Amino acid sequence: MKKILKTILIPLCAVILVTSCNKDFLNTQPLNVAAAGATWSDASLSEMFVTEIYNGVGEGYLQQNSLDNQTDNCLFNFGRQSIMEGNISPDNPGDRLGTMEWGNMYNRIRATNLALQNLATAPFAAAIVDGLKGEVYFQRAYYHNQLLRYYGGIPIIKFAYGLDQDYNIPRSTYEESVKAIVSDLDSSVLLLDGKSLPQGRASKAAAMALKSRVLTYAASDLHDIPTAKQNSTLIAGFANPELLGYVSGDRNARWVAAKAASKAVIDLGQFGYNLGLTAPQSKADAMSDYIKLSLSRNGGEKDAIFGKYYINAATDDWGAWYPRNNMPNGYHGWSSTEPTQNFVDNYEMMDGSKFDWNNPVQAAAPYENRDPRFYASVFYDGGAWKPRTTDGATFDPYGELQFGTYQTGTGGGTTVAYAGLDTRNSNIENWNGTRTGYVIKKFMDPNPAIVDMNQKQEVPTIVVRYTEVIFNYIEACLQTGDEATAKSWLNQIRFRAGMPAITASGSALVNEYRNERNVEMFAEDQRFFDARRWMIAPSVFGQKVRIMVITGSLKPGKTVTSYRYSKDNYNYNYHVQEIEQGVENRSWNDKVYFPPFYRDEISRNSKLIQNPGY
Amino acid sequence: MKKQSNDFYSGSSGPSKWISEYLFKKIIIFSSIFLLCLSAEAQNKTHVTGIVKDDKGNPASNVSVTVKGTKTGVVTDANGAFSIDAPNQKSILVISNTGFQPQEAIVGNRTNFNFDLVIAAGNLNEVVVVGYGTQKKVTLTGAVAVVKGSDLAKSPATNLSNSIAGRLPGVVAVNASGEPGYDGSTIRIRGSNTLGNNDALIVIDGVPAREGGLDRLNPMDIESMSVLKDASGAIYGARAANGVILITTKRGRSGKPELSYSHNSGWAAPTVIPKMTNAVEYATMANEIEIYKLPPAEWAAASAAFKSTGTYTTAGNSVITAPFLPDDFKKFADGSDKWGHPNTDWFGTVLKKWSPQSKDNLQLVGGSENVKYLASLGYQNQDGYYKNSATGYKQYDMRINMDAKVNKYVNFGLGIVARQENRFYPTKDAGSIFRMLMRGYPTKNAIWPNGQAAPDIENGEQPVVITTNQTGYDKDTRYYYQTNAKLEISNPWIKGLKFTLNASLDKYLQQTKRWVKPWYIYNWNNDIANPLTTAVAKGPTTQPTLNQGASDKLNIMLEAIGSYEHSFGNHNITVLAGVTKETFKGSYFNAFRQYFPSAAIEQLFAGGLTNQQTGGAAFEGARLNYFGRVGYNYKEKYLAEFLWRQDGSYKFPEAHRFGFFPGVTAGWRISEENFFKDNVKFINSLKLRGSWGKLGNDNISYAGRLTDYDYLATYSYGSYTVGNQIVQTLREGPLPKNSLTWEVANNYNFGLDMTLLNNKLSVELDVFQNHRTGILWQASGAVPATGGINLPASNIGKVDNKGWEVKVGYNNAIGDLRYNVGINGGYAKNKIIFFSETPGRPAYQQSTGHVMPTNAGSDDDMLQYQYDGIFKDQKDIDANTLDYTGVGGAGKLFPGSMKFKDVNHDGKIDGLDRVRSDKNQTPSFQGGLTIGLQYKAFDLNVLFQAATGAELFIQTETGTIGNFLQDTYDHRWTLDNPSSVYPRTVDRNNQYFSNRNTFYTVSTNYVRLKNFEVGYTLPSRLGKKLGISRFRVYVNGLNMATWSKQKIYDPEAQSSDGHYYPQSKIINTGVNLTF
Repeated sequence: MKKILKTILIPLCAVILVTSCNKDFLNTQPLNVAAAGATWSDASLSEMFVTEIYNGVGEGYLQQNSLDNQTDNCLFNFGRQSIMEGNISPDNPGDRLGTMEWGNMYNRIRATNLALQNLATAPFAAAIVDGLKGEVYFQRAYYHNQLLRYYGGIPIIKFAYGLDQDYNIPRSTYEESVKAIVSDLDSSVLLLDGKSLPQGRASKAAAMALKSRVLTYAASDLHDIPTAKQNSTLIAGFANPELLGYVSGDRNARWVAAKAASKAVIDLGQFGYNLGLTAPQSKADAMSDYIKLSLSRNGGEKDAIFGKYYINAATDDWGAWYPRNNMPNGYHGWSSTEPTQNFVDNYEMMDGSKFDWNNPVQAAAPYENRDPRFYASVFYDGGAWKPRTTDGATFDPYGELQFGTYQTGTGGGTTVAYAGLDTRNSNIENWNGTRTGYVIKKFMDPNPAIVDMNQKQEVPTIVVRYTEVIFNYIEACLQTGDEATAKSWLNQIRFRAGMPAITASGSALVNEYRNERNVEMFAEDQRFFDARRWMIAPSVFGQKVRIMVITGSLKPGKTVTSYRYSKDNYNYNYHVQEIEQGVENRSWNDKVYFPPFYRDEISRNSKLIQNPGY
Repeated sequence: MKKQSNDFYSGSSGPSKWISEYLFKKIIIFSSIFLLCLSAEAQNKTHVTGIVKDDKGNPASNVSVTVKGTKTGVVTDANGAFSIDAPNQKSILVISNTGFQPQEAIVGNRTNFNFDLVIAAGNLNEVVVVGYGTQKKVTLTGAVAVVKGSDLAKSPATNLSNSIAGRLPGVVAVNASGEPGYDGSTIRIRGSNTLGNNDALIVIDGVPAREGGLDRLNPMDIESMSVLKDASGAIYGARAANGVILITTKRGRSGKPELSYSHNSGWAAPTVIPKMTNAVEYATMANEIEIYKLPPAEWAAASAAFKSTGTYTTAGNSVITAPFLPDDFKKFADGSDKWGHPNTDWFGTVLKKWSPQSKDNLQLVGGSENVKYLASLGYQNQDGYYKNSATGYKQYDMRINMDAKVNKYVNFGLGIVARQENRFYPTKDAGSIFRMLMRGYPTKNAIWPNGQAAPDIENGEQPVVITTNQTGYDKDTRYYYQTNAKLEISNPWIKGLKFTLNASLDKYLQQTKRWVKPWYIYNWNNDIANPLTTAVAKGPTTQPTLNQGASDKLNIMLEAIGSYEHSFGNHNITVLAGVTKETFKGSYFNAFRQYFPSAAIEQLFAGGLTNQQTGGAAFEGARLNYFGRVGYNYKEKYLAEFLWRQDGSYKFPEAHRFGFFPGVTAGWRISEENFFKDNVKFINSLKLRGSWGKLGNDNISYAGRLTDYDYLATYSYGSYTVGNQIVQTLREGPLPKNSLTWEVANNYNFGLDMTLLNNKLSVELDVFQNHRTGILWQASGAVPATGGINLPASNIGKVDNKGWEVKVGYNNAIGDLRYNVGINGGYAKNKIIFFSETPGRPAYQQSTGHVMPTNAGSDDDMLQYQYDGIFKDQKDIDANTLDYTGVGGAGKLFPGSMKFKDVNHDGKIDGLDRVRSDKNQTPSFQGGLTIGLQYKAFDLNVLFQAATGAELFIQTETGTIGNFLQDTYDHRWTLDNPSSVYPRTVDRNNQYFSNRNTFYTVSTNYVRLKNFEVGYTLPSRLGKKLGISRFRVYVNGLNMATWSKQKIYDPEAQSSDGHYYPQSKIINTGVNLTF
């Protein structure tokens, strides 16, 4: 009997032990994610979902390859921009910003649709639901508009797809796209009215300001097909111009609508920093104000309507690495965004006159008496910056930028060529040196502790700002014949920048306005679109990049062993030349007005009509 | 405290003494009972002793001596001696040993026997480990490749996976790196079969998928490795589709305890170091980069100007200065200025010639008839290639295998493994280090003439410094505690019926600690006459940071198996059925602090409180499986087997949780047929076998992400900054897919085993076809991006894989010289049958119908432009009629640019002219040639290994950013010597022809002397005098010679840019001592 127990029962029991327990133990749960169902019945989780959608904003203008690198303003240090060579195609679309990228945007748009769908039946307080919906309407409009201003009319998607559906969907016309976006923005304004939301989230004002942008673009030359056809044979020959702009209708009414949208933001009275001056302020004050605006601090935050914020405790956001990405190589930065000479020439003299290379005094000292915003926006040869790291300080204990090649030794005697620390022949990381002779300074935190590539900064990227709304308003005033109002606002911005009033009128005033808009909002992702919608892109973007070559020769009898910028010791020569065509060979082609859709996307969506020229 | 603890362990006083006495008594009582039981059965027994000698007359140890028809058996000790009780005088002793012919002798009146072993070439009685059991090789019907542990132990590799290549037909092993701790090979059985995970299931001592895999097993502990390549793996069901590797560890044997010690001292070095240009060559090319930025018409003038004055005034009146002036060239060449104009060999400066490694192993084997044991201790120490290396690997391991025969019906086995793996590295990874070595300018110093480290190349990354502990350290310590217990109970009334219970408990712990502190490089004041250097801090220049993490896992397996064996007449059947329950749980935790006030205290508490970060995660899973096997044979002539498994996995929704995976194998031993025996004399044995199996792969992943729980709608966590705070966010993942299930493999195999020439020659042939369906893939080809969907992967992919394997062995002896020669090889070529193609892709670009990429997801990398020579001169360009704007070639067709083929003949070079490659980075053929020689006390073993059918895209970071390959310099297009094969010098891949094209893709076929070993064994007569039963010294080596067309990197390299720790060659000396 015992043997039976031992030999049969024990193994049998064991088998039962292993198998008998029900199979529930197979129902394990994922421990690192939240269940979708639970999310929409909980206000905090729903808010977390809505907050995530803001990540689609990306790094805005603080991303390493700024959108201004695809304009006449700047040159990217790391790789030619095919779009500037007129050379993009469905297979080779060139570098694209994440926040304009087709799939990325539609993924975020899907999230907004999913949120609206689920918030419709949310069981928590209506006030919370409305607030979240208000934000989501803004987000949906924002992402659609990112695509609209890049590609022209796009499929407007207001529902969340499921699996195994028919995904073929045509582009909405430009007009329909604008209408849909504006409608979302109007909803957002209604729902967010009276709500006060923390920095980083959308607000009623953000929706209103975005509407000002959308309507200003909509009224512009490029999107008025009769005008666009006159300026471009490619657009004139396109079979579906309604995808690119308004083929009919009252263009003046569009400007009136844009003007009203901008005025509405101004009338909120919530924004604006140091506007309302009646005379130019001092150079020092002007520079200081301009830096406050670009850093959004010490009052400058009054200009910010909507943006993405960085704090050092956060995860590794690329935009917070702006100092590393953009300081000159002599500061162990990567000089990613290099202002061109083409752009630097746009800065007027402090007295409001144009800078002129044919003026020998100006040509011999091009960095003197310029618009104060130049000094706050651009690193130039001889300019002061932070103390350098120990290795740089060996050569430059003063923290002054060195973009030239200089003699050391004795003038008239034995001299040795010394390549500046911030050049491509530097002792420090020369492969990151600038090619144009300039590096962007705007948005750079001047805190001397942020000294090399190891420190992040906490400067936000403002994607909708009040200054833009003012400019939109000025533009609409000009287009609707109200020069006096236009000039009054334009001069308020100039006075804040330390520049004298503009007195011109007519087309000269329009040109002044365009230059002012570009200079003030330099590197804020505006130029790419502005030059297109004004249709001046062929002439300005088609130009070759001009660069600055600086040589410093010792004056006879002067002896210098360790170089420092000095007009006493040196004669400086400022030579402007075109960049080698092997670096970037800029040339305009009308097809790049509207970049192409990927070949694969066209193949997957039979109803998607490709832009002209591809 | 110390004294107390001593007392406790010695057990000499207090309660511990009482416990030990009590236990002792208990043991005595139990033992007595067992002894009584045993003695009751010992009536009529004849005690027999004897000695077994090998064919050379030396004592043969480990030879099995059994009494025929019983379970009684012993093995010989180191002196070849055995002692066994035969039930009666009619008993027959059977002497068997792998590789030798079995012998039998009737006991009769004799009590002492001497046997001399005779070599048996065909290994007819070899036993092969298969899933849940063993089978005689002669009756085996599946495709199973086997290698003995003793063969694997001949390699000096510290990672077991590196000893496999060339040993097992049909098993491809590719070693991508030699970095200590990460130097394992990727193992593929019959190549790749799926776009998802292609890893084989590794079963160690009956436990599937043990943490740590096979890489770090001590080869001295391994008895054998079997690879189930076909339906024979079906008994492992949903995890067997990629093949199954079964590893059996050595166990004890009865006889006198034998203690052996072995020591190995080895030296490792990179097999290949990329050859880079010297200072003069680099400067020449750097100047060319400047010249080629000008319009081609000015190149000749600019080149002449650079050579004479160093500056050139362009047609547009711009002045261009050469990066390197004529005077620089002079100084680089004559070495007159060590400070300003060095000629630096970065690899030579940073790497040692040879890096030491060592292995020590102590093993005790012994036991009685009832209790057998093996205990093994191992230690390994492996250094990195760098001078003052912070990189290294250390391992401590222990294994105890014990078997106890509790009584006639009950056996108990226990295995315990403990292993600690210490990986330590500098704070910059090998990728960064070798990136900087590749980039290091020969025109700049690595070390100043005063011995200090020269400036970094970028990010503080100066290889001389970042290879050492000057930047802090990065430690990774892993602990494995693995146990498995086995209880076997035979049924006394029904002969052949047996129950087996298995339990295993595997614990895994990992600790990581990364301490980063500032380090220093030195700047020179640029003064040759009066050189001074200044220290510059790099890295976290202000204060150190610490990142610490811990993870743990617990895997539990419980298993019950019943088996039955029976023979009636000529019919033999075996039946086996079992059930397994597996659960696993794990969690992870990490913490980060910065602002350490000093580098003196490297502990978390000492860090600053601001911006400290913590994180963590957890997971769990479970499986429930039923499996079984029915085998039948008639006279061991007609063979058939049916295998199955019913698998249930947590990865799938409840309704689709279980799957059934059957397999059938069959064989016919033609040579047992009389018509064959009577007619074919030269063939000793011939067996045909075939198999079909449906196997599964539940290790389903898509784009490197495991798709566990993808049947649930879930949101994953992210973050965003709102109101000066980081807030958590939720993001939708892939849409839930309810029908998610395993991949299914339908694998067919046909094979032939044959021995000829008196069993001296053996041949095995296999051909196979594998059809994998249900591979997880996104149907993205049909969903435009406007859908916005994060598409779930679904079971849509299909891949076919076909190939063959061959193994030929020949054993013989000429006088005292014994030798064996073996050839093995396996070929496998896969083809994608279904893939979600983007509509409209031309056939030559589609994945469908072509080979899979080595890494699924890098699919577009398979598309390459077709290189078509070089525009040698302007005349060549003028003759060109193709439009290159589509590849960004507008205005860039210069002399020295590449030509591409207009594949679709549309007059335009664009994306549509890319053609999908039919090769990837995994060889389609891998094989080996083994030669073994033994002459008296000397032995020699050699393994040549070859691989073909793979290619690698090679493109380095060169130009202003880093050094050029010597190969590029030697062959490039220049003004003076216009090549029609290599392009002109380019900077950082900035030309249209830097796009992936066939020029940069090279074949990586190779043959290498993978392994050799020469040994000398002291004759036992001499040994005995010294009290040693065995003494052996040997020298062995790994990868000591390579023949390959691709000479830039090691042929097994998987890296395009050389940013990786190269493969090792190792030369090693060892000694083995047995008492």
